[in-house]
Amino acid sequence: MPKTAAQWNAPPPKFPATHYVDSRIYTDPAIFQEELEKLFRPSWIIACHESEIVNAFDYRLFTHPTGVPLIIVRGEDMKVRSFYNICPHRGNTILYDPAGNAKRMTCIFHAWSFDTRGNCIDISRAEQGYQERFRKEDAGLREVKAEVGFGGFIWVNLDDASGTLTEYVGPAMDILAPFMQEPMEVFHFNRAIVDTNYKLWHDTNSEFYHDFVHYFNRVTGMMQPGYFDRKYTAFPNGHATVGSMSIQYDKYEGSKQRAVGWPGLAPGGWYMVDLFPGMTYNLRTSVLRIDTAIPLGPNKVAIEFRGLGLKSDTAEQRAQRVFDHNTIWGPFGRNLHEDLLAVHGQGRAMHEGTDSRWVIHGREENSTIHDEVGMRHFYAEWSRRMQRPSYEPFGEGGREPARSAA
Amino acid sequence: MEQRWQIEELVYRSCLALDERDFKGFLELCDASFRYKVTVYSPEIRKELVWLDHDKAGIESLFTNLPRHNSDHAPLTRHATVYTVKVEGSQAEVVSALQVFRTALDGGATELFAVARLIDTVKLDGGAPRLASRVVRMGTRQLGFGSHIPF
Repeated sequence: MPKTAAQWNAPPPKFPATHYVDSRIYTDPAIFQEELEKLFRPSWIIACHESEIVNAFDYRLFTHPTGVPLIIVRGEDMKVRSFYNICPHRGNTILYDPAGNAKRMTCIFHAWSFDTRGNCIDISRAEQGYQERFRKEDAGLREVKAEVGFGGFIWVNLDDASGTLTEYVGPAMDILAPFMQEPMEVFHFNRAIVDTNYKLWHDTNSEFYHDFVHYFNRVTGMMQPGYFDRKYTAFPNGHATVGSMSIQYDKYEGSKQRAVGWPGLAPGGWYMVDLFPGMTYNLRTSVLRIDTAIPLGPNKVAIEFRGLGLKSDTAEQRAQRVFDHNTIWGPFGRNLHEDLLAVHGQGRAMHEGTDSRWVIHGREENSTIHDEVGMRHFYAEWSRRMQRPSYEPFGEGGREPARSAA
Repeated sequence: MEQRWQIEELVYRSCLALDERDFKGFLELCDASFRYKVTVYSPEIRKELVWLDHDKAGIESLFTNLPRHNSDHAPLTRHATVYTVKVEGSQAEVVSALQVFRTALDGGATELFAVARLIDTVKLDGGAPRLASRVVRMGTRQLGFGSHIPF
């Protein structure tokens, strides 16, 4: 039955308030800025993988979700450190290429140089200009916490007072621990920029009800035994996991059961771990995929996709993993385009001014695969950190929707 | 020149067929041994990447399954320019520049979607030239919400 404006604006009547959110949390610029400070700045975020900086002096650039440009660098002592990619002299970019090897990190502007420990090792014509007032010892780079963990990923945290990575992730990764005993290697990277809110991407990774958009998942998963037994488990700090099943790849025309598996994982197995506020581990049969959502604005997100195999892969095994990855998750893959198209559609319908009002997370199916508990758990953590409920982000009787004020 | 003209026309016809989503027509331009690859270099991870790799049956299966999937329906228009043709015996190596444009269904705005090079191997064994392999060497690595239809 169609709704009047009053009915459209009224909260969904038969759900508890925890089962829907005010869609302005996806569109409001002030909320977005607050999220960067309260959710992303103090969280551990995946910047890259250790296989991307194998050798001493290898570096990788990463733009943190708050916008801070970072250098991730492996020192001559093989320790991984992270620094702002901002010269302390005149605020210029120090390193430009997204990855490389730099024994000295030298700012092209005035040739100030830094080592991989963040020390300034040379200020050009220092004595002539600064005399004793400013020396290279005064010009170190801003260091950011960096840790390697949970499959060899390099995580960063901008908050000097934060807890450890292990404390942040807690037991959420226990489900994947048995499958991450061997060193891994990144074989795929691409970045998609989509006009949508970052949470809508993470929502998609946090619910499987949207398998209706994926023909591949319907025929290889939803129509197969075990699919509806997969369960969500919620963990502290907003993280959640999804249990496995046996995907029947041969049910998709032109496809066949995966020839290469993963150590310890049952054939056709598929586990997922969603980590607050926007990262997902997706171990599907032969490939580990990692998503890192980097918000660019209330209605714009960059998603970095990585595909990983085992460092010990033979050429044939690696080629098969790459093939498996590309079939569903590559830039021309069957599933990735569908997921991106779906969240792009949400961005179209939900950006500021569209009069979108509520987003329902109301499915309850005993925490099994089409239950929306994963999203509810995320928004409980969102509400805790933002100090306001996601169903009422402007407080009771707070700011009315723009259309009402007009 | 006649042979070069035929080879160029093969490249252009392959683009026209894909533009029209005439997948049967595209496959008719391909030899039974046809192999299709999309490759790219990632400066981020400093590696050569393969984004798609299919034999003729695989690419045919990809096309057959397309209607079962949810895809963006905006038409893609390929603009190719054949740069070089190097004939060696019964085959030719052909390098073309490719630009792919996407035209929005609502309003018709056209935007550049991708740039790439087509590196084709063309079979020349008597009859009409046929594509024995195509490597789409991507320049563009950021494709927004992407595409189900290869270039």
